[in-house]
Parts: sequence; C-alpha cells; structure tokens
Amino acid sequence: MNKVGIVGYYQVPPALDHNMGRYELIFQAVRGALDNVGLKHKDVTSVVSATNDYYDGRTISNCFTVEAGGGYMKDETKVEMDGAFAVHYGMLRALTGHHKLVLVWGGSMSSCYPYSSSTLLSTDPTFERPLELINDMTAGAFQMRAYMNHFNVSAEDIAQVAVKNRRNATSNELALPESQLPAATTEMILKADVLSSPVTELMYSHPCDGAACIILAPEQQALKIRDDPVWITGVGYSQEAYYLGDRDLTQSQSMKNAAQMAYKMAGVKDPKKETDVAEVFEHFAHEEMIFSEALGFCKPGEGASLSTEIGGELPINPSGGAMSGNTPCATGMIRLIEAAKQIHGDASEHQVKDVHRVVASGQIGLCAQNNILFVLERGGRK
Amino acid sequence: MVKLEYLKKEYEKTRQMPGKWPLSSYRYKFNITHFQPFLKALKEKRLIGLKCRSCNTVSFPPKLVCGKCLVQPDQWVALRDTGMVATFTANYMKDETTGELQSFPVIAIQQDGADTTFLTQLNPAVKFEDVYVGMPVKVKWKNQPEGNLGDIEYYDVIDDATKKMKLQNE
Ligand SMILES: [Zn+2]
Repeated sequence: MNKVGIVGYYQVPPALDHNMGRYELIFQAVRGALDNVGLKHKDVTSVVSATNDYYDGRTISNCFTVEAGGGYMKDETKVEMDGAFAVHYGMLRALTGHHKLVLVWGGSMSSCYPYSSSTLLSTDPTFERPLELINDMTAGAFQMRAYMNHFNVSAEDIAQVAVKNRRNATSNELALPESQLPAATTEMILKADVLSSPVTELMYSHPCDGAACIILAPEQQALKIRDDPVWITGVGYSQEAYYLGDRDLTQSQSMKNAAQMAYKMAGVKDPKKETDVAEVFEHFAHEEMIFSEALGFCKPGEGASLSTEIGGELPINPSGGAMSGNTPCATGMIRLIEAAKQIHGDASEHQVKDVHRVVASGQIGLCAQNNILFVLERGGRK
Repeated sequence: MVKLEYLKKEYEKTRQMPGKWPLSSYRYKFNITHFQPFLKALKEKRLIGLKCRSCNTVSFPPKLVCGKCLVQPDQWVALRDTGMVATFTANYMKDETTGELQSFPVIAIQQDGADTTFLTQLNPAVKFEDVYVGMPVKVKWKNQPEGNLGDIEYYDVIDDATKKMKLQNE
C-alpha cells in the first residue's frame, strides 16, 4: 500500500490564557507549519481541522476558522474530536490519490470556556446529567480508584508518572510553564490539592490554550518535499461504550484494539522491543499506566514496573505528555509532532537516542472512551 | 399554505427531559491591537479599509487574515464615506399596539474604495419599497462616536446622479 508521510509540523506554545485571539492562534499554527518546510498556501489541496463548536463559541465552527486555517477555497472538512483523529482523516484523504498535500490543524482556547462544564454536557441527559455528578475529573477519579483497587497499585506508583512527566516538561521548550516541576517528588504530587479523590491537581493534564498543525503528503510527493519524511506505517482506533457504568475502567480495551490494528498494519510483533519511544495522550497520570499495559509494553497492572524516563528501557512521554500542556483538540496531534521530532532528532533537551519507531496516541471522551494509535517510522529513500 | 410551528406534541411513549445547554458561558477573545487604527478612525468619523499586499483586496470591515493568500494584511487605506447598496432584504417587526407588520430594509453596502461589502442598516425612514441595488448611500455618523462599528448609525440615501443621466442617442 502507498504510504503517507509527515512532511511538516508546528506547535504554538501553549498558555493558560493566551494574550491573542482565536484567529491568530490558528493562523500561527498553520503559517508556521508551511513556513517551516518552505511550502506555499497554494500547494495545499485539502485541509482538515480538529475543533469543537462548544470550544469555539460558534456552531459549525469551521465556518469562521476557514481563512486563518488555510481552508479558503480548498477541499475543507472538520473533525469534532482530538487532533490525532483529524490526522487520520487527513491521511485517508492523502491516500485517495486526489490530494498531494493535506494540511491538518487542531486546537482551542480553554481560557474562553469552562472546560469541565463542557465535559458534564457530554454525559447522558437522561441518567447522568440531571444528577450533575460526572465530568472529566470525577470520571478520571473513578478510573484511578478502580485501577488501583483491581491491580493493587499504590497512589505513589501513579504519582511517579506525574513526577516523570512534570520533570520531562521542564526540558520541553514548548511545555506549559505552569506544568513544569524540575524538582517534582511523589510527595509533592500526592500532597497537591485534591481535584476529585484520589486524583490531585498535579496528576491532571490541565486544559490550556494552544494550536498545532501537521502537513501530510502521499509517499512520492513527500519525498519531493523532503529527504526524511516521517512515515505513518500503522494506525488503529477503537471506541468503547458511552455510559461509564458499562465499562471496565481498570483497563483500556479500546486502546488494546487500536494497538492491535496499528501493530498489524506496521508489522510490529513485539511492541516493547520494537518501539523506541511512546508519546501518549494521558488525561491523568494513571491513564499513562493503563495505556502502556494496553499497548503491550507490560502485563496488565504492571505499568509501574516499566522504566519509562528518558534513557529508560522504553521512554514514555519524553515531552511531558499531555501533562506538559493539554490543548483540547490538539493534544493528540502534539503527541504525533513530538513523535516526529524524536525521529528527526529535533527534540533538543528531551531527545531520546537512536529513535527509529515511535507510537503516538490521541483520545477523546470520558476516561479515554475513544483511542487512536499511530506507528511512526524514520523515513528516507530506500 | 402549511404553517410550520415549533410545537412539541404530548406523546405517550416519549417525553421531554428538563436540560440545560449553557452556551452563554463562552468568553470571546479577540486581539484588538491589530484593529486599533480602524477603531481610532471611526472615533474620528473616518473610514479605513485593510489592504492585502499580496492580492490587493481591500476589506471593510478589516480582516485579520486574507484567506486567499494566507497572510495578515497590514496596509490601511482611506475609504470615502459613500457607497452603494450591493444587495438588500427586509426585517419584519410587529407593532405591539396596532399589530401592524412593518418592514425595515437591511442592506449590504459596497463602500467606495473597498472590495468587500458591509452588512448594515439603512436610515429607518427609508421605505423598503424604495430600496434598489446600486442605490447610492452615505454614512450617517453617530453624534458622539466611541470607536466601534456602532459609530455608523446608519446609511443615508443620497442623490442618484445616474438617474439624471441621459443616453446620448435618446
Ligand atoms: Zn490577499
């Protein structure tokens, strides 16, 4: 099958409350990605955005983002999900043979809307919403306690993930400044303010303002643009039940399914051995452990036994992950950008040595209801 | 004629759930520094448009990004306070006391010197029946402009010179 390559990318530095408007934020991401590889707007044939009407304060919000997002007079469409899903949509467009250059961008400004209220509005209006008990934080707390209880995992083990990601964020120049904790300790994480017991504030990937853009091209075209495109060699996705009560929160079956699909496509047999880095979208510290188990890096419940720091046996989220800046609609896309940077050797302070293959994930929904996994590999001419 | 009404029937099988969808909690954020010259001009009862250096399109009101060129236009050009009606329609309002239905023209103005049109209102004294495409109009400024689009109170009708013109062979 024809491959699709990542030929360019750009991430606008995140902020809790950016001193700029929504149009500028989008424009910076899109213009930045094109300028980085010397491409022109007229080279773009298709544009896919990841935004959300609620987050944009407008219905059919790609109506207003069209100019700043590069969609003017182009084949243009939108995904109302995380940016990683938009990359998949863009990849499919590139594979049709009709598009030589697909620009995918995503992002939002959490400073403009109450994020956790919007997650309450995603719950079921008959059984869940009238009680107003569930939003992303309480759902995540259910998940953390269920996971800890089922596998006898300690809060210290989970706090360790936050320690690693917040330390890693310190060496990521595009991390949210407030997320960086160079001297983080498990005690500090555990003693932080409680968001929803047992989740503390420092175990949570706080929503912020930001945007990102990825440029995709089919194989032949990608090689014309640059000698070293990053190839998407595998992709998988899966979605779990809507009602939280219908789900097993101690594991992520949808991530397992996504991984199985992506590994099969990429020909990965032993994910732990054959993967150099993983960049996963963890909405909470404990989700990173649940994901590493679903991705086959270790047995269920043994996420804590894996050495995942930079220089460890399998570095996970060397960038700091979503904890280094969770921009709704861009976070998963930023994981892909980080993966591409690791492969290109462009990750500066948080670079892992000799990276050939990276897996990167995106998610959406309460307790990561829907997951997507990409396998990215070092490109070049054969 | 079938009259459509937004009416929910009382069924036996289904019922309405009380629910809220609080969209009003959104906080819109715009960078105003980019449009400062435009707002300043309005306060001085002047109109300026923003020109894209790449395609020469002059937009009024100004645009942050030229979609055609994917660049930020940065050249301000002076516009005349006259323009013409590019297209129009009517808004209808019912008089509370008499119940009489009145129509108010709503217009898109092609401002002289600009390439885009501006959606605005006509002098409320002008009858809807008298509006036509190509009708020349002029800005009626608010007495005390504050530096926003509301400073254009409405557009006034001016003399249509083309109506007085006669073709030479007539
Ligand atoms: Zn232009």
